[in-house]
Amino acid sequence: MINFAANTTYTLPILVHAAVPLTIIVVYALVAIWGERKVAGFIQDRLGPMHVGRWHGWAQSIADLLKLLQKEDIVPKDASRFLFKFAPFMMFAASYAAFAVIPFSSGYIGSNINIGVFYLLAVTSLLTLSIIMAAWASNNKWSLLGGMRSAAQMVSYEVPTIATVLTVIVVAGSLNLMTITEMQAGNDILGFLPNWLIFQNPFLIVAFIIFFISILAEAHRVPFDLPESESELVAGYQTEYSGIRWAMFMLAEYADMLLLSLLGAVLFFGGWNSPFGDFMSGPFWEFFWFMLKGLLLVFVMMWIRWTLPRYRVDQLMHICWGILIPLSFINLVLVALWEVIF
Amino acid sequence: MELTTILFYFFSIATIGAAAVMVFSKNIVHSAFALMFSLIGVASLYVLLYADFIAATQLLVYVGGILILILFGVMLTTQGRSFDYKTITVNLVPASILSLGVAALLIFVFVKTDWMISEVAEPDQTIYDLGMLLMGDYVLPFIIAGVLLLIAIIGAILMATRLSSQSIKNENIE
Amino acid sequence: MLYVFKEGWSTFKSIFTGMGVTIRHFFSPSVTEKYPYEKIELPKGARAKLHVNIDDCIGCNLCARACPVNCIDIETVKATDDVDLGKTSTGNPKRFWLTRFDIDMAKCMYCDLCVHPCPTNCIYMVPEYEYSEVDRSNLVYHFSNLKPEMVAEVKEKAEQEAEQKKRERQEMMRKKAEAAKKKKEEQEKKQAEAKKSSNKNDNDKPSTPGKKDS
Repeated sequence: MINFAANTTYTLPILVHAAVPLTIIVVYALVAIWGERKVAGFIQDRLGPMHVGRWHGWAQSIADLLKLLQKEDIVPKDASRFLFKFAPFMMFAASYAAFAVIPFSSGYIGSNINIGVFYLLAVTSLLTLSIIMAAWASNNKWSLLGGMRSAAQMVSYEVPTIATVLTVIVVAGSLNLMTITEMQAGNDILGFLPNWLIFQNPFLIVAFIIFFISILAEAHRVPFDLPESESELVAGYQTEYSGIRWAMFMLAEYADMLLLSLLGAVLFFGGWNSPFGDFMSGPFWEFFWFMLKGLLLVFVMMWIRWTLPRYRVDQLMHICWGILIPLSFINLVLVALWEVIF
Repeated sequence: MELTTILFYFFSIATIGAAAVMVFSKNIVHSAFALMFSLIGVASLYVLLYADFIAATQLLVYVGGILILILFGVMLTTQGRSFDYKTITVNLVPASILSLGVAALLIFVFVKTDWMISEVAEPDQTIYDLGMLLMGDYVLPFIIAGVLLLIAIIGAILMATRLSSQSIKNENIE
Repeated sequence: MLYVFKEGWSTFKSIFTGMGVTIRHFFSPSVTEKYPYEKIELPKGARAKLHVNIDDCIGCNLCARACPVNCIDIETVKATDDVDLGKTSTGNPKRFWLTRFDIDMAKCMYCDLCVHPCPTNCIYMVPEYEYSEVDRSNLVYHFSNLKPEMVAEVKEKAEQEAEQKKRERQEMMRKKAEAAKKKKEEQEKKQAEAKKSSNKNDNDKPSTPGKKDS
């Protein structure tokens, strides 16, 4: 349960407790933005940033952040001022709030509530709204187009995401992410495979593929980056933003990417469980394995980004409504049947 | 004052204030965003009442679904060159009389009712009980609501397809 | 239905093929040259920047005349008799002081046309391409190695010598003219005498009138 302390003396420990994911997000975002540029470079036989900080330009993101902090904060004359200024912070708040239910290790979870996954999906729906807010408040046609696309895309792809999460919940029997993780401990399948859900039920492999495609769309990653396609919509809803507000958007997007990847790691790859049973387990190693799984999924997202071209809007909708949604519901029934039979 | 109380008053005022902005704003998109704040405030109040499932449902269904569709509809259906999403006020006098009457009635009921006040008890399992109730005692209303929604969906699809097939026919004739 | 499966399969196959290609490139070494730190060698015959080996220049002005954009500006002064400027490495004698040899690289269009006419191969392209400047006038390169006072001295000397030579020539011309005059007078005298004698003796042939004396 969300448990507010009755006594205000607990406020400081609560704040510290709540700031842990924030630290993880910020450090991750700096690393991931640098990493994305390096991945892009390596895939295109380049080197990426090499200059700042001597070793492979590791300090590039820090330099970029300092630059963004110093930049002028521009609000367009005809923009809706309050909504324009509010949108980036709401977007970041939404993706940060969702980290509350992610079990980073057996020793740390922001809030161990029973409706974990449901809460996460509910809070991430605020992301769409903040994007529409930014898009409309900018009073710019590119932004508005991006916002509309984003709304249509997120509303559509929430359905297969929820349907595949539901398949996992059918197998796991709980909405609590900590419980789902704990029940995936041990290496029993075929004698050596870890008890991860993706190995427990063959239809969950299909579910994972559908889930991964949907989270690509939800996190606005290529090939579904229509809302912010820089080549046709000049970055969509971000067009009018500059400086620290734009940085907040960037941070929120990367946080969202990590959030959905970590969700995938919890639901399909055993969360913080070590793949080698008891070997290398313990709170710190659990955190390590969990982040490793999440970052691997993030890497696959980057890898896809530098491989595939962008889909068209009608193709995007066809993939969602025509293929993923029917497939995920059929899959849900099959998973349930498998669970009943075995 | 306890933190919970402070938060309760904060969210209550935010909810009511946002609702007022929603009603009195001239700009329909501003109204929609004010509605969002209001709905989030209501969800926070649910959280303070330990109704976590209802709170998340409120967010997912109203904020994440219906409100986005409202905004989408407003932005898509507005025709013309200028983005002029203005609301107009009609029947000012009867509407205000009616709403004041309803407000008076609600306040009267609120004051007069003998409310049963119980201690705050944090439930262990909200969704388990909810699920048992929905699938047990209240299965009939649940299924009827589901069928109603299904009928609405089928009707919408039928209307949409009929319209589009007609327009296609018209295009072919032309 | 079958079509949907076929299409789906081909989509997945193509996606994984593409991802295989990108991951291969991910692990293959990069082709980037870290430019300011390491430079690639320019190919042979690259046209990057003009250079003049001023010691070999004989001031023949052929390059300046070949240049289609007039970016080469040469001023020469004839060496006086008392100095010997030596020879170029190719053996050509140098006869001119090069008081100015400017090349404006801002105008240069790298056509290489000035390089080939040079009889001593002293103007050529060097593989040097990092010479951008903030001020365009800095792109004018001065190749003359004479100091300004030297230039002035040389010019003065050359002028004096030219003056002297002119005077000498005038003197010579004058002498020549005097000599010619004398001769003419003599001739006239002779002719007059001859006339006298021919008057005496009609069979005598007349002497050639335009006989020269050098």
